Amino acid sequence: MSCTSPVDAAVLADYWLAALAGSEEEAVELHLLDCDQCGARLREVIALAEGIRNLAREGSLRMVVSDSFLKRVAEEGLHVREYAPPPGGAVECTVTAEDDILIGRLAANLSGANRVDLCICDERGVEQLRLPDIPVHREASSVVYQESITFAKAAPTNKMIARLVTFDEAGGERLLGEYRFNHTRSLPGPGAW
Amino acid sequence: MEIELNDAELVLQIGSGSDREAEAELFRRMAPRIRLYGLRHLRDVYAADDLTQQVLITTLEALRAGRLRQPEKLASFVLGTCRMTVLDLRRNAQRKEALLEKFGADLLAPVQPSMPHLDHEQLARCVQNLKERERSVVVMTFYDEQSGADVASFLGVSEANVRVIRHRAIHQLRDCMGVAS
Repeated sequence: MSCTSPVDAAVLADYWLAALAGSEEEAVELHLLDCDQCGARLREVIALAEGIRNLAREGSLRMVVSDSFLKRVAEEGLHVREYAPPPGGAVECTVTAEDDILIGRLAANLSGANRVDLCICDERGVEQLRLPDIPVHREASSVVYQESITFAKAAPTNKMIARLVTFDEAGGERLLGEYRFNHTRSLPGPGAW
Repeated sequence: MEIELNDAELVLQIGSGSDREAEAELFRRMAPRIRLYGLRHLRDVYAADDLTQQVLITTLEALRAGRLRQPEKLASFVLGTCRMTVLDLRRNAQRKEALLEKFGADLLAPVQPSMPHLDHEQLARCVQNLKERERSVVVMTFYDEQSGADVASFLGVSEANVRVIRHRAIHQLRDCMGVAS
């Protein structure tokens, strides 16, 4: 039998996250006890949620994370390797087989920054990747960047420059901080691209 | 040709006498739905299976005794039973063995539709293709289990805005994974 009032997948995600108001939750639950199509959609949402959890545990996403995220991965017994070069400075770094999560803590004054981009550059400073409009809290003193551990474990010895930039009212770019990561490969194997 | 009975017709059939086939059909139909309720509220597959079994037993008892006066209200009755049973499970009330004996374990074999399989590599690409804030929201909510208020505080936006970002991200991920209906 076809569902005449399908529940949107995003609302089902809210239901799964216990983020619906009481009356809305009750309406969704009643519907789910009467409708296998929406139940199947909820299963897809649950599979999506589980897939995202697995990706997060793998440390393979390049993204800005929060300190609570780091606390959570530590609670799960994952090994976090963190480097915190000062603005304008460099750090010698590596990654081992035991590491699960790789973090660069980029200290910067973020007050007054409406939009912040994180640029990943090669050793000559040529931009290779840009994470535009990253989530930052203006009162925070640093940006916590997770580099893909899968990428780092495969990488040869190399140098990487991270730049935090913001924008003035005219749209001009302003450097908030530059950080050099001198990566030495310590894992066996060729480690070439 | 076999005509499928609707829920209310099944209720009436079960109430009119001992119809094992109708009871089995009710179990097949309701078990996956109840199990989803259990997964949502108990966050544990084994506890969800226990819940499913207990709710089905209670429902069958009520239907056999003709206690459900409005057969079209089966979903409401089952929802109420789910709620009570979750409370019972949390209080560790165990009547399970005796009831299993009474109703028969064969009838109560768990019905577990498997979760859909998602291509992990494809999902990684889809998540990486989200905008930065969208990616943060989905990871913080689904992995870190942060509340809307906590995510809002991290992003410096309102809770309502977090909900909008989350909804957009879920639709994009479903589109990207090819499961959007």
